Amino acid sequence: MSLDIDSHIRHSTRHIGRSVPRREDQGPLTGRGRYVADIKIVGMLEVVFVRSIEAHARIVSIDTSEALAVEGVQAVFTAADLADVKTFPDYIPYIGPVKQRPLAEDRVRYVGAPYAAVVAVDRYIAEDAAALVAAGTTYEPLPTVADLDQALAPGAPTLHDHWESNYSFDVATHKPEVDHAFEQADHTFSETYVSQRQTGLPMETRGVVADITDGTLTVWSSTQSPHMVRSTVALMLDMPEPQVRVIHPTIGGGFGTKTHIYPEDIVVPWIARLLDQPARWIEDRMENLVASVHAREQRHDVEVAYDDDGTIRGVRCASTLDMGSGEIFMPGTAPVFVTNACVTGGYDFPNMQARTIGVVTNKTPSGAYRGFGIPEGAFVMERIIDRVARLTGTDRADLRLRMLLQPGQTPYVMHGGGRLDSGSHTESFEQGLEMTQPALERALARYADDPDVRVGVGYCNYVEPTSPSYHLTTGHWGGGDAATVRVDPDGSVRVAAGLSSFGQGAETVAAQLAADALGVSPENVTVVLGDTERAPYGLGSWGSRGAMMLTGSVLLASERLMDKARAIAAHMLEAAEADIVLTDGAFHVAGSDQPSVSWAEVGTAAWIRYVDLPDGMEPGLETSGYFHPENLQHQLDDTGKINAAASWSNGAHIGVVSVRVSTGEVRIEDYIVVHDCGTVINPALVEGQVHGGVAQGIAGAMYEHFQYDPDTANPRFASFMDYLVPTCAEVPRMEVDHFESPAPEQPLGVKGCGEGGTVGPPAVVAGAVSDALSEWGVDLTECPVTPVAVRAAIRSAEAAGAGAGS
Amino acid sequence: MKPAPFDYCRPSTVTEALEALSSAESSRVLAGGQSLVPAMNFRLTDVSLLVDINRIEGLASVDCDPGGVTVGAAATQTRVLEHEGAAGVVGGLRAALRHVGHLQIRNRGTVCGSLAHADPAAELPALAVASGAMLAVSGPDGERRVDAADFFIGPFWTALEDGELITEVRFPAPPPGSVTIVDEISRRAGDFAVAGMVAIVEADGGAVRSASLVGFGLGGVPTRLATAEAAIRGWAADHPADTIAEAVMADTADAFDDIHATSWYRREAVAALTVRAARRALVAEEAA
Repeated sequence: MSLDIDSHIRHSTRHIGRSVPRREDQGPLTGRGRYVADIKIVGMLEVVFVRSIEAHARIVSIDTSEALAVEGVQAVFTAADLADVKTFPDYIPYIGPVKQRPLAEDRVRYVGAPYAAVVAVDRYIAEDAAALVAAGTTYEPLPTVADLDQALAPGAPTLHDHWESNYSFDVATHKPEVDHAFEQADHTFSETYVSQRQTGLPMETRGVVADITDGTLTVWSSTQSPHMVRSTVALMLDMPEPQVRVIHPTIGGGFGTKTHIYPEDIVVPWIARLLDQPARWIEDRMENLVASVHAREQRHDVEVAYDDDGTIRGVRCASTLDMGSGEIFMPGTAPVFVTNACVTGGYDFPNMQARTIGVVTNKTPSGAYRGFGIPEGAFVMERIIDRVARLTGTDRADLRLRMLLQPGQTPYVMHGGGRLDSGSHTESFEQGLEMTQPALERALARYADDPDVRVGVGYCNYVEPTSPSYHLTTGHWGGGDAATVRVDPDGSVRVAAGLSSFGQGAETVAAQLAADALGVSPENVTVVLGDTERAPYGLGSWGSRGAMMLTGSVLLASERLMDKARAIAAHMLEAAEADIVLTDGAFHVAGSDQPSVSWAEVGTAAWIRYVDLPDGMEPGLETSGYFHPENLQHQLDDTGKINAAASWSNGAHIGVVSVRVSTGEVRIEDYIVVHDCGTVINPALVEGQVHGGVAQGIAGAMYEHFQYDPDTANPRFASFMDYLVPTCAEVPRMEVDHFESPAPEQPLGVKGCGEGGTVGPPAVVAGAVSDALSEWGVDLTECPVTPVAVRAAIRSAEAAGAGAGS
Repeated sequence: MKPAPFDYCRPSTVTEALEALSSAESSRVLAGGQSLVPAMNFRLTDVSLLVDINRIEGLASVDCDPGGVTVGAAATQTRVLEHEGAAGVVGGLRAALRHVGHLQIRNRGTVCGSLAHADPAAELPALAVASGAMLAVSGPDGERRVDAADFFIGPFWTALEDGELITEVRFPAPPPGSVTIVDEISRRAGDFAVAGMVAIVEADGGAVRSASLVGFGLGGVPTRLATAEAAIRGWAADHPADTIAEAVMADTADAFDDIHATSWYRREAVAALTVRAARRALVAEEAA
């Protein structure tokens, strides 16, 4: 760490870089976390949303009379009642506007769309009444589109009347050098790669409690971005922002799904205001599976030009995102742009021509999920490399080493403008390969006597954009964050930041940083996050931005505070400011054994004993810092390129799998991660992020898949019996190693590591299983890699005359 | 996910329970509730009265003698798993129960409840059929005994009539020297099987003498693999496995498709499991 303030502080203990124990776990681990569902207010009413059971229909009529007659029901609201609520903004100019109303007005476009809200004295009664509203609803079914092919077929029914087709956007770049590569190359092939529909699935579902007191509307929401909820609630309910307070209490995970602002975030506060009574809605798991955003459903139509020696000369990639109905704020459009921006991973590969397409279908709107498009792109690139290696008889690892960015090649500008500021692309992969060797030998030995088992290895070298601009995603918000640091009269430190935290460890990190920057112990630092009334404006936690934004903003504020504190201490010690140093929490004159002044004495002077302040100094000891990374672009440049991330982490994932040929069962024997997220603030937190991310990546690689009926666009899932989340029994042992390439343009060198773990597994598992089954020529092009998918691949190879069975 | 209104009672004798069951239009027995209660919360099943049998004296017993194991209606799966004598007499009970859900589910779920629920992908109904279990059923017209082979009629549909209650099930001891294998493919540990099978195999001199083979997760009810049972007689580890696999395919022609697996996959998988079971049984016989 290189800080200006370092010259003034002598620490006996450093906190940055150490696995300082997490401070946020006591509540959740002892059953004393205070989640939204734990908030009880006298007189609080219960809201239940009535959701469409049709994938696409006109709502002809809604008879609420029977529901209203149920004892304990206070009100039933439909879209007509919400005329005074504004429409969700359509901020992004280049995508089709969806003009989303908080409750569906006359038409529903996916199973699960909310179209009425029942308010009752408890949830049981509210659900009884909701069932009556559902029974009293008359639909006129409309033809459905369940997938991309149906949505784009000539004459397909359109979801949004004011659109000409189901295209939301279609953005193409053209590169003559890619055309040239295709003309020159020895060979070409085309392939379609598919990423299936999944979701982030936090353990705590969403929930909203709203209460209006003395004109101030307080909203407790299980959200990742309290300030953005405040701005949007204020806008849509036409209230001044200071009269809306949004608090996120304990949050049981978000994984991107809670970055969006949902109809319930608006309707529940509206009900509380209208009825002048507190109201709450807690999403149940059945709702959660259709009412919170889905993600990852993309199709990639790829053309590849390559030479006999394995050199890949050019790639054209058309990536199409299935957006579901598109009725979500912020829109779920951005991940597919990230996919194309990151598709080339850590490889020196500029000859990529990308087309980026979004299409609406009659399914749950898609949106953010940890990884945010990166895993989909990594899958495409790694499958291409494996294919070319096989077609040309090139070693798969060697081909990757030939293509990876070499030491000294950063900063490197990617095909779409992403600027890899630093990294360890070759080094991480080489280290991973070394770690893989014993794992591979173990697996081969384990199955040496079992003729039914094959062993394979899969690779993924990815880049992870961190602390991104939010402008491309929202069309509105930017990408910085604020923190306020205060030293109170007793010398205690208070840090308040616009970041939010729901398991990542942001409180611990803020305390570590403030402790080092102010020369105090982390125990003396109180951290306030997730409350718009107590913390400055911030965009919350998503996009692997917590570490960089929090440390950046807290550091700025701390430096400003230190300047003032030193001036006060210098005055009290009757010394020159330049001679003042801080040792173990006390200010003194360098090289002197004169008495010192403590933080408490400085704090008391600043707030109370003005007689100790230098003449003319403004009292108080509270400063703010707004961190905005200098190199972060928010809009495309003249050439259509953008570096929309403040920094770029990287990593190599390698997996060793075994495949049982007769049943198609796959077991991950070992999973190796070598990653680089810049300066590490807290190794234990980073390791936790990697483990959790890999587990979610494995979920996508092998288990989780939202399936819809192709004829009706009805979900074929209703519970965790149908949507398979891996448990500890399915997540393998992992070996994790780090490189540290500091971010050159962040004061601490911090990059971020929230998402990288999710990126590798789909590419790794598909690559490893294909490798294991290479004698059949199996080349998997989609996930999840299920036993059925494996058997299907073997059968089709055998039908074509390939493999051991022939 | 809150249930519609229902009534609840907790009788202390079987007679009271039967009276209660007959007193309401859609009464249901509550034992472990591991399938019934979620179904009520999803409002998938219409229940007007829940009759909780957990406080009925003696109904949670597990009795063991050399001829078999008798499991009472309120005995939990964990109780049977941990019973000292039961596994020694009917090894298949432990083999099957280890695949049933997770610890928390087995702590509440009952053996008889699983039979009454009759999930086509569940292990215990298949074990009951493979081992020739006998169910004791009480109802308004008295008590009757039902052979497991006659008990399962369709998916979630059994020979139980309205107002009837399984009071106990008896699993007979398998033939001496036989090996009971319960093997399955499931997407995750503890899930219902995509496909599975129970094999009670007698081997002699390195060859299969006879086998009781019942698949699950294939059709609406546990599937007796009769052709495979014939094909496997006399099979030895060095014989080709094709004939067994083909026989299983013949026995499973109407295996179903769902989001977790296709029909052809289920058939192939059970064929592979059957061959695997036969090999394991022969290895066990050799070791014995």
